[in-house]
Amino acid sequence: FSDYTRHFEPLHFEFSSIYYYFFPPLLSDYNHNKVNQWTAAIVEQSLTHLVKLGKTYKYIVTCAVMQRSGAGLHTASSCFWDTTTDGTCTVRWENRTMNCIVNVFAVAIIL
Amino acid sequence: MAEQPSLELAPSTRVTGVMAADGTETPHPRAIHRGSHPTAPSRGPEEGKAPQLLSRRSSMLSTLAGPPGSRRSSLGAAPGGKRPSVGPWLLHSRVSFSGLPLFQPIPETHLENTYRMRPEEGCRFNAGRVQRVLEGGLAGVLGGTTYSPQSSTVLVQSLAELLRGQAKEVVPPRYKLVCHVLLGQHRQQSMLVASQALWDPESDSFASASFSNASLFAVATVHGVYFE
Repeated sequence: FSDYTRHFEPLHFEFSSIYYYFFPPLLSDYNHNKVNQWTAAIVEQSLTHLVKLGKTYKYIVTCAVMQRSGAGLHTASSCFWDTTTDGTCTVRWENRTMNCIVNVFAVAIIL
Repeated sequence: MAEQPSLELAPSTRVTGVMAADGTETPHPRAIHRGSHPTAPSRGPEEGKAPQLLSRRSSMLSTLAGPPGSRRSSLGAAPGGKRPSVGPWLLHSRVSFSGLPLFQPIPETHLENTYRMRPEEGCRFNAGRVQRVLEGGLAGVLGGTTYSPQSSTVLVQSLAELLRGQAKEVVPPRYKLVCHVLLGQHRQQSMLVASQALWDPESDSFASASFSNASLFAVATVHGVYFE
């Protein structure tokens, strides 16, 4: 799994730098009413920025927001794709009351 | 006979082309697939196989033994008669290349372009079927387990691979799969998982299922992307 992140270093770097724009608005505490809006905004803006990178990829963006209550969380993903062209990037972010994990899966389009 | 000394200096590995100049067709271990007799038939499959392959390797093939038959015939056609002046130079050039790779390159298989950009009719990603598979898989694995920090790491990884394997069986070919599993401890916290994708909505889709018991909860998502 870590190999894919290394292979996707350019995408990783460009992508994780994008998140400095997203997460400041989320500096507030966990709010059950607003979390829908937050996840929708994160996912939409991620996709917009990924499209602006201009690469021929299909993207899948997953965002999980969890309230911090001491509970444990594990996440794993298994992908069936072409390891030479496809990859993934994960960004984790947290504040005092919540955790946020964003996964980006990029699947190449062969032109 | 100016070419004689140069022929003797030639390294023995690439003797095929050189010996052909003498008019003698010696079966050579190198020339297994291009002996003197099966020249014509061996040429056919090679050309039919992959024209790209031939063109890229033409310089190499010429060192091995030439496109079978073609060079030999030009040299063999004048055995003892007048030799074209280009002949020895061709030999020289062949000999000079022969120092390069001494092994047979592995022939790459070039698949032809199928020109198919969409899945066939009726061969779409069936979200309902994959969801049932996911639910069954989750319930089967997590039915009796309780959450523990040490075992859950391994459990979630194996679960992701298992679900991906199960989904692959029910999904039509030419689909790439991304299987994502979240496993967490069940306490009084709330959690929201969202996903969005940029793809072709006609051919790509996803399916998700969730499972929870007293101590843990799990969410599994499988995205299927058509490989065009």
